[in-house]
Amino acid sequence: MVHLGGAPVLRGVDLEVGSGERVALLGPSGAGKTTLLRAINGVIVPRSGSVEVQGTALRNLDQRRLRQIRSRIGFVHQDHSLVANLRVLHNVVAGRLGRRGFWSSLRDVVRTSKTDLVEVHRILERVGIGDKLFQRTDSLSGGQQQRVALARALFQQPTILLADEPVASVDPTRSRDILDLMTELAEEEGWTLVASIHDLALAREFFPRVIGLRNGEVFFDGPADALTPKMVTELYSLDGLDNAGKLDGEGASKEQDG
Amino acid sequence: MAKPLPLAQRLPTRRVRILTGIFLAALLAFFGLDLNLGDLIPRDSGFRLVLEFFGAAFTPAFTYQSSTGLPEGTSPFLFKVGRGLWTTLTYAIAAMSLSLIGGMALGLLASASFWERRHPLWAVLRWAVRLLIAAMRSVHELLLALVFLATLGITPAAAVLAIAIPYSGTLAKVFSEMLDESPREAADALSYLGANPLQVFLIGRLPRAFPDIAAYSFYRFECAVRSSAVMGFFGFTTIGLYLRQSFENLHYREVWSYLYALIIVVLILEVWSSQLRRRFVA
Amino acid sequence: MSDRYAQVEVLHRARPRSRLIRWSALLAIACSALVWFASEISFADMFSTKRLGHLDRFITNDMLPSKLRGESFSWGGLGDWCAEQFQLNGARAMFATLCISVLAIVLAAVAGAMLGAFGARNLMSAHPFLPHATVGHGDCSHGLDRVAQFTRFVCILLRAVPEYIWAYLLLAMLGTSAWPAVLALAIHNAGILGRLAGETIENLPSQPLRALSMTGGTRRDVAVVGIFPMALGRYLLYFFYRFETCVREATVLGMLGVVSLGYFVIEARAHGQYSTMLFLIFLGGMLVMLADVVSDIARRWLQKGI
Repeated sequence: MVHLGGAPVLRGVDLEVGSGERVALLGPSGAGKTTLLRAINGVIVPRSGSVEVQGTALRNLDQRRLRQIRSRIGFVHQDHSLVANLRVLHNVVAGRLGRRGFWSSLRDVVRTSKTDLVEVHRILERVGIGDKLFQRTDSLSGGQQQRVALARALFQQPTILLADEPVASVDPTRSRDILDLMTELAEEEGWTLVASIHDLALAREFFPRVIGLRNGEVFFDGPADALTPKMVTELYSLDGLDNAGKLDGEGASKEQDG
Repeated sequence: MAKPLPLAQRLPTRRVRILTGIFLAALLAFFGLDLNLGDLIPRDSGFRLVLEFFGAAFTPAFTYQSSTGLPEGTSPFLFKVGRGLWTTLTYAIAAMSLSLIGGMALGLLASASFWERRHPLWAVLRWAVRLLIAAMRSVHELLLALVFLATLGITPAAAVLAIAIPYSGTLAKVFSEMLDESPREAADALSYLGANPLQVFLIGRLPRAFPDIAAYSFYRFECAVRSSAVMGFFGFTTIGLYLRQSFENLHYREVWSYLYALIIVVLILEVWSSQLRRRFVA
Repeated sequence: MSDRYAQVEVLHRARPRSRLIRWSALLAIACSALVWFASEISFADMFSTKRLGHLDRFITNDMLPSKLRGESFSWGGLGDWCAEQFQLNGARAMFATLCISVLAIVLAAVAGAMLGAFGARNLMSAHPFLPHATVGHGDCSHGLDRVAQFTRFVCILLRAVPEYIWAYLLLAMLGTSAWPAVLALAIHNAGILGRLAGETIENLPSQPLRALSMTGGTRRDVAVVGIFPMALGRYLLYFFYRFETCVREATVLGMLGVVSLGYFVIEARAHGQYSTMLFLIFLGGMLVMLADVVSDIARRWLQKGI
C-alpha cells in the first residue's frame, strides 16, 4: 500500500497500490517517475504528505527500521547497479545484505555457504543464466546483467519490487524478454511490481494498471486499455516537458539515505 | 598543411597564466640559488671522473675491482651485490607491509565515501585523520631516519619505521582519493536494498577501487625499494652502503653493478605490475 | 540438492581466474612473513631497555635547546628560541630548498615532455594517427617504434636510480653548488614525467590529430599544434603532483653537502644541537605541507578550467 502526498517534484500525488498489483509508471522524462519510486523506498522523504509501506509510515523512521523496510523492497535500476568487477555470485548474494549482520554478510561474500550457493544457482537458472554463476559481472551483456539484477531481487525475497527504467539500456528484442521474466516472477512470487517504463507499447502489454505522470502530477490512472491515443499525445506534449524541467530545477527534495 | 593558430589562441587563458607563472618562478629560483651556467661543465678532476665513471657503465664489475686489501675468505662480489639487494628488499617489504595496513586504515577514515550515510559530526574525525596524514607525509623518510638514529641508535627496525610512516601517509591520501573517485551507482543500489553504511562501502565501493589501489601499491613498493637503498647512506646495510663505499674507493665498475641491480629490480616490478593490471581490467 | 551442488562445483572449477594474481598475492604474503619472522628486522631490539634509555635521555635532555636546559619550561622562551633559529638558518634553508625544487621540476617537465613525445607509440609511427588502410605500403615504421621503445627504457633508467644517489654522483663530478641537487631531482622526475606524458599522449582522442595529419601536417606540426595544447592540461596536473614530492625530496638532498634544508640538519646533528635539528626538520615539514596545499589549489584551479 502506497500513499504519497506533495513533494517539490511531485505534487498532489495520491496513489494506492494493492499488494500483488503490477503497475507501470509512464510519462516524459522529468515527470517525477524516479522520484516517486525513490519515495516509496524512503530514499527521498517528501516535504509534506506521507508514504506508507505495508502499513508503516516512512516518515521519522530511524535508520535501522528504514533499512528493515528496504530489505523487503527490491529495486532494479536502469544500469550500473551491480558491482562490475565482482563475480555474479557475489552480486546476487548481496541481495540479502539488509537482513544479515555485518560479519555474516562479509562471510557471505568471501565464502558463500553451500546452501546459499545452491540457491543462487537455482535462481540464476530460473532467470536463464545458471552457467554464469562464477563469471565476472562486467563480462556479461547488458541484458544478462539485468537478469543478474533480477536474480539479486529474487534472492532478496522482497514483497515489493520497484524497477526504474529496467529495460531502457537493453536492446529492444531483449527488453521484451526481460519484462516477460520480470512480470512472470512477480506473479509467481506474489510481488507488488511498480516499474517506470519509457515504451508505451511495452507498458500496455505487460502491466494491467498504468499511471501516467506529467509535470509531477498524476495525469492518468487506470487500466492500460483505457489510455486513448489522444491522452498519450497530451501526456508527452511539449509544454508538459517544459514545466517539468522547471519543476525539477526547484526540486530541492531532501535526501535521506541510509 | 592547415595554418596553425597561434598557441596563445588555442590554449585556455588559465593554462597560459599557469605556464607563465611557472617559468617566472623558475627564473626567480635560478637567481635565488646564485647559480652559474658555467658550473654545469665539470672541470679538471671532475671531467676526468665523468669520463671514467660513464666509461665504466659499459663494463660493470662481476668480481671485486681490486683484490688488494680484501681480507681472507671474503665472499665473491656478486654475493655481496645479492646480499645488499636482499637487505634492501627486506627493508622495503617490511616497510611496505606496515604501510599497507596503516595506509588502508587511515585511507578509509580519510575518504568521504566511507562516512557517507553517517552522522555529519563524523566529519570532524575525518578532517583530523586528513591532518594526521598530511603531517605524516610531510617529513621525509631520511629525516625521520636521522631522528630515529639520534634517539634509538642504529637498528634495522628504525629504518623500516622511518620509511613506513611517510609511506602510510602517502598511501592513505591516494587510497582515499581512489575510493572517492570510484563509481558509486552500485553502492547506492546496495543501500536501496537495506544494506548498512559499512556493508555498502566494503562490498559496493571498495572492490571497484581495488585494481587502482593494487596498481598504486605496486608503484609505491618500487619507491620503497629506492628509499631503502638510500638508507644505506646512513649506515644500514642496504645497497646504498656498498655503492657509497665502492664510489669512495673509486671502483666505478662496482658502482655500476649496484646501479644495474637496482635498475633490474625496477624493470621486473614494472613488467609485473603491467601484467597484473591487464588481468584486473579484463 | 547434492546434484545441483555437483553442478555448482563443475562451474566453480571452470571459473575464470588468474594464476598471476593468485601467485602474486601468495608471494607478497610469504615474503612479508619471511621478512618479519626471519630477518634482522626486529622491533624487540628497537625497543630494548638500552635503546629506551637512550630515548629517555634524548627527550629529557638532548632535545631541549641548551639555553633552556635547567630552567623551568616556558612557551615564551621556546618561542623566542624558535624565532632566533628561524632567522639564523631556518629561513635561508627553506628558501634554498624551495628554489631547488622549483627549478628542478621545471627542468624535469621540459625534459619529460620531450621524452613523452618520443616515447608515445601513436606519434612515433611512420604515419602518425593515420589508419593503416589509407597508407597502403605495408608496415614500415622507419625504426621509429624502436625509438619509442628506447625512450621508454631511458625513462625507466632515469627513475630507477634514486634522487639521492644521482645527487651523490653528480656532486663528485660538478663540485659544490646547487646544481647537483637540482639536476638529480630533474633527472629522476624527468623519467617519471616522461612516462606519464607518453601515456597522456597515447590516451588523447585521435580524431582531431588524424585530421591534422591528413591535411599534410608533419609529425612536428602535429606535435606542436595538436598534441601540445591537448595534452597540456593533464600534464600540468602531473606537474603539480610531482612538484609536491620534489619539495619533499629537496629537503634531504642537502645532507650531501648542498645548501638545502638537509645541510643545516646535518650540521646541527654534527654539533650535537639536536634541538636545532628537530626544529629544522619541523620547518621542512611545514614547507612540504605548504607545497602540498599550493599544488592542491593549483590542480583544482586547473581542473575547473579544463
